[in-house]
Amino acid sequence: MNMFKIILVIFFTFITVGLNAGPLTKLGKGEGNLNVVAWAGYLERGTTVAAFDWVTGFEKNTGCMVNIKTAGTSDEMVALMNEGGFDIVTASGDASLRLIAGETVQEINTDLIPSWNTIDPRLQDAAWHTVDGKHYGTPYMWGSNVLMYNTETFGDSAPDSWNVVFEEQNLPDGQSNKNRVQAFDGPIHIADAAMYLMYHQPELGIKDPYELTNDQYQASLNLLRQQRKLVGRYWHDAFMQIDDFTNEGFVASASWPFMVNLLVGAEQPIASVIPKEGATGWADTTMVHSEAANINCSYMWMEHQLSSNLQSDLGTWFGAVPSVPSKCGTGLMDPAAGIYPEGADACKINGIDNFDKIHFWRTPVSNCKTQDSCIPYYKWVTDYIAVLGGR
Amino acid sequence: MINFIVNISDYFYRNKNFLFLLFLLPPLSWLGIIYLGSLLTFLSHSFFSLDGFTGKINYTFTLNTIFELFNSRANFDILIRTVGLALTVTFGSALIGFPIAYYMAKFTSPKVKIFFYIAIMLPLWSSYLVRVYSWKLILAKEGIINWFFGKLHLTWLLDKILSIPYIGGPSLSISYIGMFLVFTYIWLPFMILPIHASLERVPNSLINASLDLGASKRQTFYKVILPLALPGIAAGSIFTFSLTLGDYIIPYIIGTSKFFIGQAVYTHQGTAGNIPLAAAFSLVPIIVMIFYIKTAKKLGAFDAL
Amino acid sequence: MTNAIELLGISKSYGSVQALNNIHLTINDGEFFSLLGPSGSGKTTCLKIIAGFEGSQEGHVKLFNEDVTLVPPYKRDLNTVFQDYALFPHMSVRSNIGYSLRIKKVNLEEQNKRIDEILETVKLIGYDLRKPSELSGGQRQRVALARSLINKPKVLLLDEPLGALDLKLREQMQIELKNLQRKFNITFIYVTHDQQEALSMSDRIAVFNNGRVEQIDTPHNIYNKPKTSFVADFIGITTIFPKEDASQFNITKSFSIRPEFISIQSSSSSSSKDFKIKAKVTDIQYQGSFNKIIFESSFRNSLSVFQNTNNNENISYKIDQEYILEFDKKDITLLDD
Repeated sequence: MNMFKIILVIFFTFITVGLNAGPLTKLGKGEGNLNVVAWAGYLERGTTVAAFDWVTGFEKNTGCMVNIKTAGTSDEMVALMNEGGFDIVTASGDASLRLIAGETVQEINTDLIPSWNTIDPRLQDAAWHTVDGKHYGTPYMWGSNVLMYNTETFGDSAPDSWNVVFEEQNLPDGQSNKNRVQAFDGPIHIADAAMYLMYHQPELGIKDPYELTNDQYQASLNLLRQQRKLVGRYWHDAFMQIDDFTNEGFVASASWPFMVNLLVGAEQPIASVIPKEGATGWADTTMVHSEAANINCSYMWMEHQLSSNLQSDLGTWFGAVPSVPSKCGTGLMDPAAGIYPEGADACKINGIDNFDKIHFWRTPVSNCKTQDSCIPYYKWVTDYIAVLGGR
Repeated sequence: MINFIVNISDYFYRNKNFLFLLFLLPPLSWLGIIYLGSLLTFLSHSFFSLDGFTGKINYTFTLNTIFELFNSRANFDILIRTVGLALTVTFGSALIGFPIAYYMAKFTSPKVKIFFYIAIMLPLWSSYLVRVYSWKLILAKEGIINWFFGKLHLTWLLDKILSIPYIGGPSLSISYIGMFLVFTYIWLPFMILPIHASLERVPNSLINASLDLGASKRQTFYKVILPLALPGIAAGSIFTFSLTLGDYIIPYIIGTSKFFIGQAVYTHQGTAGNIPLAAAFSLVPIIVMIFYIKTAKKLGAFDAL
Repeated sequence: MTNAIELLGISKSYGSVQALNNIHLTINDGEFFSLLGPSGSGKTTCLKIIAGFEGSQEGHVKLFNEDVTLVPPYKRDLNTVFQDYALFPHMSVRSNIGYSLRIKKVNLEEQNKRIDEILETVKLIGYDLRKPSELSGGQRQRVALARSLINKPKVLLLDEPLGALDLKLREQMQIELKNLQRKFNITFIYVTHDQQEALSMSDRIAVFNNGRVEQIDTPHNIYNKPKTSFVADFIGITTIFPKEDASQFNITKSFSIRPEFISIQSSSSSSSKDFKIKAKVTDIQYQGSFNKIIFESSFRNSLSVFQNTNNNENISYKIDQEYILEFDKKDITLLDD
């Protein structure tokens, strides 16, 4: 009897050590619970709008009850994960690398996810969740930032360049763009400036807007200083930007499809475009906590997110693009569901073809691929604060 | 067994200090270890530095982070901007709050006074965020203030006010004027109540005595009422000053997106992981407040609380 | 004689409460004049109207024959000593006393001279740099006096100035106040609810009741010749026989009799006193130099009689025992009601 106990202890110790050493090798039974940190609106169970539900089916099939903690920013997500007590997180690219570096999330075994191969090949080995050939998560959903503009101001000539928010000029309605354009107040906006320079000043040699040498970085900051003179207030929160476009007379800004949809829905004269320089964007990944208590349910969820109605319905809900292209015409993305017009390709509308134009959010690190050494994110933060302060 | 319990209770009765200590131990240890402990741990980071290459904290003593705070123009701007606004808001609150407190303390019947109390406290019952958000709408270019100025054909006046360099801006909600208005609105109750308390404690006979001794109402105000209300003003200003100093919500919603200390701390510790610089930033309000409270104490602020 | 203060038909009400009802008063220059009455009788309101802190709805106030009804307090040539002293807590004794001089911009040398003088008068030398909170009640009282007297006002109003002091100090201050008044030779208008204080200090007293003046007279007359039953009852100890009872003595008005005029007989012995009443002892109160003995008769009122305790022929009275009380017609006071 005693011997049996000892063997048991050794066995479990072995398993635990095994977990720390590498990814899970064999899937067991569901633990009955799954604790998730997610963006608002990412996990819908039909309570907001009845048609949008991709959680209750999972609970029915696996017996894993989903508990959702919503986070407002990437920083909050990182903080919550560091606190512990959660199994998975829907992390954006500017959080995922930080989570990997901090060893807060664990490597996953893609063999345990049957639908892994259905993932858009462009995402399967993406840099924001793959480090040294190891996978640290399953692609969830992606989309692009857009140039949102006021159709009354721009008339028939939709802007085709980000220069309307970077350079002082008269807009088609004859008035200056000064104090009528906005920009994001997060330091990640430096990448938008770098992307703009990548197109207009090739001599700088920018290869990746998240990997900047000091010269490239300084040039980007200078562009942003110039932009500071045009921007009365930066936007910080989606709903506040909606308010600014409604009440403060702003007419152009880098934005998300989310706000464009809401403003169009509110019958505001708003449209959006991806300009010729390209756009930055977000690609979120489901990542598993390194000390996840419900590891089996976590793997079941990652399979669920790829194989169920989640991809098509969440894509519809958010104006985003599924990570599984085969889901494009299904579920709520099927025009038969009545949301997209007859004969339309929902994924095209949401921008699936823009993938190559999009520079996905990533945390800038010193140790970068395309340059010898790059300016790390903490410098971005300090300097962007200075730019906002007019320095 | 019963004897034992009786003995213990007798012991506690005779040694009241011991009992007192026993009651106080849990809250004190909470305050000491969890609250002060974590605060000091955080603040001590201001004497460490961030390794620029790895982005990790370098745990050796250095004053570089503190120097960085004052050497970088951008950081110094943030300090000056925050302290400057906090002082302006405090001054504004005192200026607006005093007459209200004075009226409440000296000229109202008990019923009217209750009305005033409710009117002053009522905003505090609703969410701070909702109130700030409503102010954003009130101050907006398409907001009610602009509309009102337009109706009075005074748009030119508003434009003139907004064209004042530095404090103006494209619209009220995108300017320091707007921030000042919102901050003053939000913290005003914290100024009115202590002033009111200090004025209530000025007996009417003192005012009569001053009039009786030949001082006009104006002289009485400056020589008797104001000096006696000063502790209340000082107490109120501690609230308005420190609350403005630490706030990071209003600068996100109203104003020109220029950073304030609270935002700098939030961003540096959160997004950037630059805890040493965040700690150095949070050191500033603490030091400023220590000096401020010392001055306020001299003015008798704590007698008015 | 000059009139320092004249009140001509002053009326004042707070809402439905009539605080003062048609008050007529004339106070002579240099007089020590007391306003005496129970709390709520209107005496303090009257003082406030004289000082100018409150206005009246009807009537006029004259100060040295000049109508000051509408003149604000800081332009009236009189000063007040407040019940709570109303010393400015943020100023030293010296600044408190010199307040009115500073307001009048008297030059500094003169200020110091006068402050030192008055400090000596009120015996506060050496205390001038203290704050009011560092003084005893009696010292605060002196500061308040000094502050009001430094201006040499023609009239000094005192609102129950000794109310907060203990008995010993109060008696001492009474003497000092009287001396100050003589020294400065100014009019004192003194509000008090303490009849002993009023009787011992005043030249004349106005007795207030329910917003009316019941009687204005010298202390002697107020005590011995009260005009109304209120005054008789309020001043000193007395027994009042209302009209209905008085008729049994063949007197048509109500009257009062002071205890010292009543004598006690153990039985119906021969006596020359005009009136005799049968009464039973209900209480005996020891008062030091005398006993106060309370009797109950067939009349409505209980009667108080004083018995000197130093009297050798001391009779010890017993509770519930019946005695004969006697008094003379000449000692009674007829009352107006």
